[in-house]
Amino acid sequence: MPEFLVALTHILEPGVFLYLVLGTLLGLAVGTLPGLTATMAVAILTPLTFWLPYERGLAVLVGVWNSAIFSGGISAILINIPGTPASIASTFDGYPLTQQGKAGLALGINVLYSAIGGLFGAVIFMLAAFPLARFALSFGPAEYFALGLFGLSMMIAVSGTSIIKGLIAGFVGLALSLVGLDPMLATPRFHFGNPNLLGGISFIPLMIGLFGLGEVFHQMTLSMPFEEREKTPVGTLVGKKLGRMLVNAREFLQTLPATLVGSITGVIIGAIPGTGADIASLLGWEFSRRISREKEKFGKGSIEGLASTCAANNACLGGALTTMMALGIPGDAVTAVLIGSFIMYGVQPGPAMFRDRADFVFTVIGLMILVNIVFLVIGFFFSRFVGGFILLPKPIMWSTIIILSLVGSFSLNNRVFDVWVALLSGIMGFLFRRYRFPLGPIILALILGPMVERNFRTALIISRGNPGIFFVKPISLVLLVGTALSLFSPILLRRKKEESV
Amino acid sequence: MKKIFRMVVCLMVMTLLFGLFVSTAGAAYPEKEILLIIQAAPGGVSDAVGRAMAAAAQEFLGVPITPTNITGAAGAIAMGKLKSSPPDGYTVGYVPVELSMVKALGYADISPDDFDLIMRTNIVPAALTVRADAPYKTFEEFVQYAKNNPGAILVGTSGTGSIWHIAGLALEEAIGTQFTFVPFDGAAPSVAALLGKHINAVTCSPSEVLSGVQAGELNILAVLGAERTQLFPDVPTAQELGYDINVMAWGGFALPKGVPKEVYDKIADAFYKAFQSETFTKVMKERGIQMAYLDGPAFAEFAKQQFELYMELIPKALGTKKE
Repeated sequence: MPEFLVALTHILEPGVFLYLVLGTLLGLAVGTLPGLTATMAVAILTPLTFWLPYERGLAVLVGVWNSAIFSGGISAILINIPGTPASIASTFDGYPLTQQGKAGLALGINVLYSAIGGLFGAVIFMLAAFPLARFALSFGPAEYFALGLFGLSMMIAVSGTSIIKGLIAGFVGLALSLVGLDPMLATPRFHFGNPNLLGGISFIPLMIGLFGLGEVFHQMTLSMPFEEREKTPVGTLVGKKLGRMLVNAREFLQTLPATLVGSITGVIIGAIPGTGADIASLLGWEFSRRISREKEKFGKGSIEGLASTCAANNACLGGALTTMMALGIPGDAVTAVLIGSFIMYGVQPGPAMFRDRADFVFTVIGLMILVNIVFLVIGFFFSRFVGGFILLPKPIMWSTIIILSLVGSFSLNNRVFDVWVALLSGIMGFLFRRYRFPLGPIILALILGPMVERNFRTALIISRGNPGIFFVKPISLVLLVGTALSLFSPILLRRKKEESV
Repeated sequence: MKKIFRMVVCLMVMTLLFGLFVSTAGAAYPEKEILLIIQAAPGGVSDAVGRAMAAAAQEFLGVPITPTNITGAAGAIAMGKLKSSPPDGYTVGYVPVELSMVKALGYADISPDDFDLIMRTNIVPAALTVRADAPYKTFEEFVQYAKNNPGAILVGTSGTGSIWHIAGLALEEAIGTQFTFVPFDGAAPSVAALLGKHINAVTCSPSEVLSGVQAGELNILAVLGAERTQLFPDVPTAQELGYDINVMAWGGFALPKGVPKEVYDKIADAFYKAFQSETFTKVMKERGIQMAYLDGPAFAEFAKQQFELYMELIPKALGTKKE
């Protein structure tokens, strides 16, 4: 296998390794800072890496991409702001762990399980690229709808103490997701004549506001003396250490099933065109919760929950790359940009590439495997270093978060409008916290609501108005039954219990 | 008193000097960096053309050109910003086909007349693509099938009112039948749906379907633009086959209306040199972007024609799906 050997010599070349490390370091910055996304980083770096030999250029891009997705979890865990949308679900369990004084462990889990998920994705890509891509294509509008609806049923799981409040939050999210152009008719909805709202409310500034600014405002206004405040959530760590980072053997065994489920979900969601690491991280968390023995701990600092979502969002990358390379169709937003990068290197993604440029394919696979080991090592030290951030005095921490949030919101589209979005959602996030409404359901609705709406209507156009389309397709049927079960089984179980009493 | 008087004189002299400075600004152009607004996110065709032009043209202008991506509302936000920028030559923008579309779409009051157009750089023709296992193997067979089964063919588009939807509508009209249009969020998901057998055809650009055609899964039946495409030189145009269809996406560069002539000439000259430079052509070739130059006045004429065409076609496009 000469191409395999060519690829091997590429990967083992010290220059390539250096560029991979460079990319990984850049990715750490991109991922940790809210508002900078992996998509943006890959797009901006592509023209800059163009003058490099392709294996070095790829090393930078693969490094940035993988490590940005992983390191987004760091800010999610430490300050409850997802560094990239792919880390939303990391806030569910990661931040509670920090509040419990286990920030070190949470950071350790983030690094380790991201690497495990990433390796899983890369290996699946190597072993089963074509079958996986085929399977991904079987997802049509009906299947997307069912998948989205299944995800929305998670709203209850992330509602926290009050399901009613969770549902209210969820429907606020659904209402916000309606702003913008109608997905079918392209008619503007709820934009109040402001062209900035035609594309909908920008998701990332909204997320930064809800999570980051909202949290800061909340902490700043807690009605208790300053010394007391120092002890609340993050303050518990003041003057203490982060604690151990490594999981012990018992914890590792306990999280194994969740990790596997999270990784499989991640690869599949990644492979399906048009769904990315954000949806993978949410659904990976939900599927693991379903199979877990300690369901009730999810959302309150479950290490299983954190492990599964960390594995899912990094496993997603291998899946997304599979569809992109095997079919020439982007699996998510980053691979859409990577298609352009590949073409710039003179390679057209698609089945022909596996035949004509096997060296290129093997190089990509090799880098995708190697990068996980690189960020596993660098990530541990980096997490420990950044973890010190939460030991800083609160005022310094608050002002840093506010500045980063506002700059991050602006830099996304270079629009001042988005800064206002962030500020307004910051106030909303503050009110939600003050009155104990959960944030998970809003984010869930914002990500999955448009997917459900668009695909419901697209499926009905295809079936010419016949709702049977959702039930004759096996994948769609299974997902819909699963949704119905999860919604109604608690009621049925309770009734049964009452009857037996 | 004397002190105040002296200060007033000082101020007056400074104001005069400043005035002189401003009036000579035109002759000295360019003396500071130029902002290039790109209306799409990093990574796409618009971004590639914009950045390549920025890199190439700054060599000829002698000042840095900084590209910045301002996204939203099919480019209407960025074009609105360009329109309202001072016409001093320090703000340039990439303008795509949507320049002629956003008014008809009702997104913003923007038309080609609002700008001083510099040049058209590239075109992307539409093409009709179906699955290789479909019952129709040629464009003629497709036409026959479509005529015999009105409404039966599901045509995926990149969104209602998008340029590739317009291409499908033009095809529908030229054949004299009806399609069922299925809007997707961009061209790539529509191609995925075609490969996954959820729809029957797409009318997007040839580069979107390239790998599917190379793999033998998809079949590109006709180019719906005026000329054949470099990617598939053997595929005929619909015009060659006797159907009057010409739909394509395009892109070029523009300045806010009212730029002084000497500034305009300097930019137009530098951009033309950049267009021919290796820096620019290399990127176009590598990305498979079809270069198609028109000078400023010709581009303005072209964009205006397109504008009138879309003012007519787009209301139809938006109306067809209203139930």
